[in-house]
Amino acid sequence: MQSSYKFGQRLGAIAAATVMLAAFGGAEAMAASPRAAENKVVLVARQDPGTLDYVTSNLTALRLWIPANVVEPLVYFNKDGSVSPGVAESWTISDDKLVYTFVIREAKFSDGTPVTVEDVLYSLNTMKGSPVSQNSAAYAAVASMEKVDDKTVKVTLSRPSQNFWLGMGGTAGLIQPEHAAGTIATNPIGTGPYKLVKYTTNSAFEFTANDQYWGDAPSIKDVTVRVITDGSAGLNALEAGEVDSLPVITIDLWEQVTKRELDKKFTLLTYPQVGEPTYAVLNQKLDPELRKALAATLDRQSYNDAFGASWGAENTCTFALPNQPWYEPESAESCPYPYDFEGAMAKASAYASTPLEYASLSDVPDLSLPADIMVPAMQGAGFNVTRNAIDLARYSQLIFQGRPPQFDITVMSGDADPTQWNCTDPAKAGWSTYCSAEYTQALSDADAATSDEDYLAKMKLAAKILRDDAVIVPLIAKKGVGLFEQDLKGFIEPRVAVAIEFKNLSW
Amino acid sequence: MALYALRKLVFFIGAVFVASVAIFLLIRAAGGNVAAIVLGKDATADAINALATAYGLDRPLPVQYFDWILGMLQGDLGQSFRTKEAVADLVVGRLSVSIPLALSGLLLGLIIAIPVGTYAARNVGKPSGAVLALISQIGIAIPVFWAGILLSVLFGVRLGWLPTGGWVDWSDDWVGSIRSLVLPVLSLGLIMAAVLIRYVRSAVLDVMNQDYVRTARAVGMTRTQALLQVGLRNAALPIVTIVGLQIAELIGGTVIIEMVFSLPGLSRMILANVAAREVIVVQSTVMLIIVFVIFVNFVVDLLYGILDPRIRNAA
Repeated sequence: MQSSYKFGQRLGAIAAATVMLAAFGGAEAMAASPRAAENKVVLVARQDPGTLDYVTSNLTALRLWIPANVVEPLVYFNKDGSVSPGVAESWTISDDKLVYTFVIREAKFSDGTPVTVEDVLYSLNTMKGSPVSQNSAAYAAVASMEKVDDKTVKVTLSRPSQNFWLGMGGTAGLIQPEHAAGTIATNPIGTGPYKLVKYTTNSAFEFTANDQYWGDAPSIKDVTVRVITDGSAGLNALEAGEVDSLPVITIDLWEQVTKRELDKKFTLLTYPQVGEPTYAVLNQKLDPELRKALAATLDRQSYNDAFGASWGAENTCTFALPNQPWYEPESAESCPYPYDFEGAMAKASAYASTPLEYASLSDVPDLSLPADIMVPAMQGAGFNVTRNAIDLARYSQLIFQGRPPQFDITVMSGDADPTQWNCTDPAKAGWSTYCSAEYTQALSDADAATSDEDYLAKMKLAAKILRDDAVIVPLIAKKGVGLFEQDLKGFIEPRVAVAIEFKNLSW
Repeated sequence: MALYALRKLVFFIGAVFVASVAIFLLIRAAGGNVAAIVLGKDATADAINALATAYGLDRPLPVQYFDWILGMLQGDLGQSFRTKEAVADLVVGRLSVSIPLALSGLLLGLIIAIPVGTYAARNVGKPSGAVLALISQIGIAIPVFWAGILLSVLFGVRLGWLPTGGWVDWSDDWVGSIRSLVLPVLSLGLIMAAVLIRYVRSAVLDVMNQDYVRTARAVGMTRTQALLQVGLRNAALPIVTIVGLQIAELIGGTVIIEMVFSLPGLSRMILANVAAREVIVVQSTVMLIIVFVIFVNFVVDLLYGILDPRIRNAA
């Protein structure tokens, strides 16, 4: 009995020693993904959309995976500016840019049913009525949509519209079968190279190659997207070889990425489409001169050093991302209120008795950490700024109940869509909104532009109006950053919104 | 005993009724116009009215309440606004993760705590007893999420023995399901054991000094026999109480563990639906959890009666 006890003790000690050695031993060489031989890929999503209904939701968590992979738009806009066929195999645009004629390809949806003109018209009409403004805004100039014959759809506009044409390559142009509309929230059907096999909320999306796909079969047969909301857990899974990529990682993980040398063990890619502009919002109801003085306290470089430089983020005063043609990096020409602390101090004395409330979202690192830099800077310049931390749930509740608080200053990151600031009546301005008839008109003029040059010029004008007003004050343009298993190749910059396309991936 | 059980049953039903009214009213008081909340800030008045009509949200509150309760009693927990899925289906899918997680965590905690706590009580004042008390104290101080991360890094990243997280459905690969649950269950169970060890130790120490244990020793029983045959039944009363409370706490504890290990359990589902303003899903699921907690307390009350005749006779 005694020897058995001692044997047990020794066995336990050996086991413990083995565990400790293995656990804290030196770094070992990274092995190739075990999924390479099985022709599979496992990716990580940081958020779960809850619904896959891209008609009623514009959540990034949904738009990363469903467009382009499962559901395709009529056309694709490529990075080089060219346009490729999607569900439409060809198209013509009238010289006056008022009539678009799409010839629908002979293809099948992933459930085996043929794509019909009726499905295309149903899809376009559904998007026209979408509660998501990014979808419905593309149809603002549409006068009629009609069937020409069994393969052709004609869309007539009341005026030229850049938004319409660009929308046909975005989520506004996604084509779905009418008969499957009832299950779009859980099982969207499309013509894409993949079909969704299973979606378990808060757990995983499982895709497999669509054998009905009209194009070349994708190289990777099965793709799983695991939902891992905890960033550390996602990095653990990557390091343990359980997943092959975190295609989108956030700023709060950067320290871990570098400390654990994951940026050396894996391929680190940056791409602008999945990025976000980070900008200060100065309440439009504040005195314009006060807004301009506050804007001069914003040191973009110190902000970038703290939160963006490692990602290749650029300082900018333009509300855009580098892939948008009207984007301009920070320069004397493009920054009406450059960092000028002494100038701000000189103006602050006039506002010393004006209390200002800075709202920081306490549970969103990207949005709470900036306050650590900005509030002391504003206070140091002599402004009477108080920091008020609220959590995202409370913020969302206030916003969604239609009675947002009237904070004076905050920092936000979000979609680079400039039309989100469409609002003609300055009386409706409040915290986190911008309302300017002049800006809204500039955007409308840009939409009606009949040439790319004219469109660009008008978008630049709109961007200038926005930054001159010092309500939306851009700081940096963050790029999307992803970590990928080194043998996994073929990631391309998203073509449909922010969608990460699986089709070009290969081991 | 029957009368005692009946009284407890009436109390159980009353508590469930009060809880259901409170949940129903609190969600409406906190949320305002449910249809407006669901549709978000850009919704038109027509869309809000249409949704309210479609889901009966424009009816008087008492009608909505009784409709909801009658549906619950028949297994109809409502429907998700976003996905149109039945809430009952959503819940059942999540319970296949949450029930094994919570019960295994509890079981592991008890399996460790009862012998270790008893051993610590029997060796109070000795080095081994002090070491166990210290380990228990350290365990109590460790947050469950931290334990989860440590175990994940050790057994998942460093050793590669177990998955760092994620879930494999029972129908796809039951071995994979069990592997997915090992680390979460260990995290929950070890921390729960640390808490329970102290209660078991304290309860056993208490009964060991009682007259009936001394009497048992006097009639010739060994210390162990006296403890097992006479003492443990009496020590069980406070342990049952704390286990009942721990079950309620376990539901909160699984939220963190489900997050750390990316498990699609019930707690995460509720959190996600709170963020998505799925009022009906949240209302029905929270109600189910409350019924479960009240039921556990009901069972604990019944166990009191079984374990201690004085309680049922006094009642």
